[in-house]
Amino acid sequence: MNKIRITRRTTMAGSVALLANPAIVRAQADPIKLATLTPLTGAGGPYGPVMAKAAASVVEEVNKAGGVLGRRIVLVSEDDQTNPEAAVRAARKLIDVDKVTAIMGTWASSVTTAVAPLCWESKTFLCTVSGADSITLLPHQGYLIRTQPNSRLQVTRVGEFILSLGAKKAFTMIPQTPFTQSTFDVLNQVLPKGGATHQSLIYDDKKTTYRTEVDQALRTSPDVILANGYTPDTVVLLKDLYRAGFKGKILGFAYSINQKLVDQIGQNEVVEGVYTFAPSSAEGGSAYEKVKVAVGSANPDPYTCQVYDHVNMVLMAIAVGKAASGEAIKDNIRKVTQGSGKSVDNAVDGLKAIAAGEKVDYSGASGPCDFDEKGDILDCKFRYEQIKGGKFTLVKIA
Amino acid sequence: MIVVQALVNGLVSGTLLAVPAIGFTAMFAVLRFPNFAVSGVATLGAFAGYLAYGAGLQMAGSLAAAFVAAGLAGLLFDKIAHLPLVKEGALPAAIASIATGLVLENVVRLGFGNEPRGYDRPIARDVFFGEIRVSPQQLETMGLALALMLAVFAALAFTRIGKAMRATADNPDLAALKGIRPERIATLASLIGMGLVGVGGMLLGLDSSIDPLTGTRILLSLFAAAVLGGLGSVPGAVLGAFLIGIAEELSVLVVGSQYRAAVGFVAILAVLTLRPRGLLGERAF
Repeated sequence: MNKIRITRRTTMAGSVALLANPAIVRAQADPIKLATLTPLTGAGGPYGPVMAKAAASVVEEVNKAGGVLGRRIVLVSEDDQTNPEAAVRAARKLIDVDKVTAIMGTWASSVTTAVAPLCWESKTFLCTVSGADSITLLPHQGYLIRTQPNSRLQVTRVGEFILSLGAKKAFTMIPQTPFTQSTFDVLNQVLPKGGATHQSLIYDDKKTTYRTEVDQALRTSPDVILANGYTPDTVVLLKDLYRAGFKGKILGFAYSINQKLVDQIGQNEVVEGVYTFAPSSAEGGSAYEKVKVAVGSANPDPYTCQVYDHVNMVLMAIAVGKAASGEAIKDNIRKVTQGSGKSVDNAVDGLKAIAAGEKVDYSGASGPCDFDEKGDILDCKFRYEQIKGGKFTLVKIA
Repeated sequence: MIVVQALVNGLVSGTLLAVPAIGFTAMFAVLRFPNFAVSGVATLGAFAGYLAYGAGLQMAGSLAAAFVAAGLAGLLFDKIAHLPLVKEGALPAAIASIATGLVLENVVRLGFGNEPRGYDRPIARDVFFGEIRVSPQQLETMGLALALMLAVFAALAFTRIGKAMRATADNPDLAALKGIRPERIATLASLIGMGLVGVGGMLLGLDSSIDPLTGTRILLSLFAAAVLGGLGSVPGAVLGAFLIGIAEELSVLVVGSQYRAAVGFVAILAVLTLRPRGLLGERAF
């Protein structure tokens, strides 16, 4: 840490400067404190630092424009080390010592699950990018929102995409995971509505061959197969589907069907035409462009976009609630993110509109940012790609 | 027809499972403890073969590399960690071997990372015999495995070393009286047994992919095959491997693939309850 040496001369100079600008004195006296708790180290280490940077850029802009409720914003950044224990210690410090009103950007589901009770008990608002369905089911009393789509939303969109491929008989091959049952439930709802049948099979992701499983799937003569595993088992599955001469369409999540998988299979015709999908930021939108500039990257990751949105939403919610408290954020966050207000893509414009007595509806870098009563987002964009000649080509973002 | 196809698939996976199962049971016959380090050694063999194949060696050369690397690593750990403990009983040595497996798995992880890798082999469409389909590559791997098994059987039956190993497995004291040096036989058993496990790891990886958990994935099936056939019996391990392979594939049709792991446990449970010495008993050959 840099030591600031306070001498008589700098004190004098500082005092003169403060006297010359009373607005600074007022804002300095009672700043609004917010925090990011992102993984600066550990497994989330590639994401956390950029996330903190994006959050800081929003605070800087808003402070330049005069702060919120006439008060300056102070953003405290802590490291959760991608570790629930370290995260709890950091959260305790943020809540008890720094007395922040909101904690934003928790990344790992384990971290969010550990930190959430501290937040709702102390009425500190928590914004997270964690994906586990269980998180919004915690008894958080409204003190939590998340911007990452839960698996239910993701699978619903997958089902719609399967229908858009013209499927009449879809088949899902999936290992046993925490989201296996909900995947079946959602697809069994979505696909029949669109006129397609759906059958499925759970496989053992430790097997070295899926010949018999593939035989079972092909017996139902499917036209679309959803390969919903992780990379190692999907490699085996795609090879066995090719060997069996499957001619229909194949699709899977981009976290498993990725460049690594293509390289590893090493033979382009095996994966030719395979579709992938992933939740996507609102690429091309004006907020997304702002994040690009703020973090100096042409492709900011989804978590960076999400934490950018967290800060914008929280600041506007404070303004509408006219109080810098977790309770005010909880009661007002949906008033600034959904409804029929003026569409805004950043807090500076939003705060101006709120000051002028207008209603606002924030659409951010990660998506429309509309939340249900549990704190889950209602919708977001998805990115669909197709493998052609061993390369991923964009089909659409929708 | 799907049952016949599942039987064929089971035969193929059974053949691949038989190679490491022979290694496992041969080591048990001579060294008298279940060496669970096979999980790590199979992974090591698969990666050694992968490196050799990537360096331009042919299939036979790569299999030899897998054999040598796995055999030497297995021998080393037997000497420094497992055999000193066997005097205290089979259990301490078995527990130590689990630790060895974890060490080897993580050594591989340190060197190669967690990402799965594939041997750079062409993937071909299946050949159909009527309604039954077989993959040409699997036929090739199966042929390699069968050739290897025949070689092991011939060595055990006709060479002096093979006879000495069988004698030691049968009755170590009597064998020692006959001038067979037990340490030499133990060394050979470790080297050859683990070499076979390493080759088995590579054969299993040829068709799918390899990663640090390659060996761990087959550990249960392999142990079940050896127990089912009779721990210590080489033909028993082959029979057990075929039965486990077929049962695992058929189970996909009956109870679903997610319960495949249960097949191994049920087999072990049934054998230990009904016929503890296994289908073919404990005779080494």
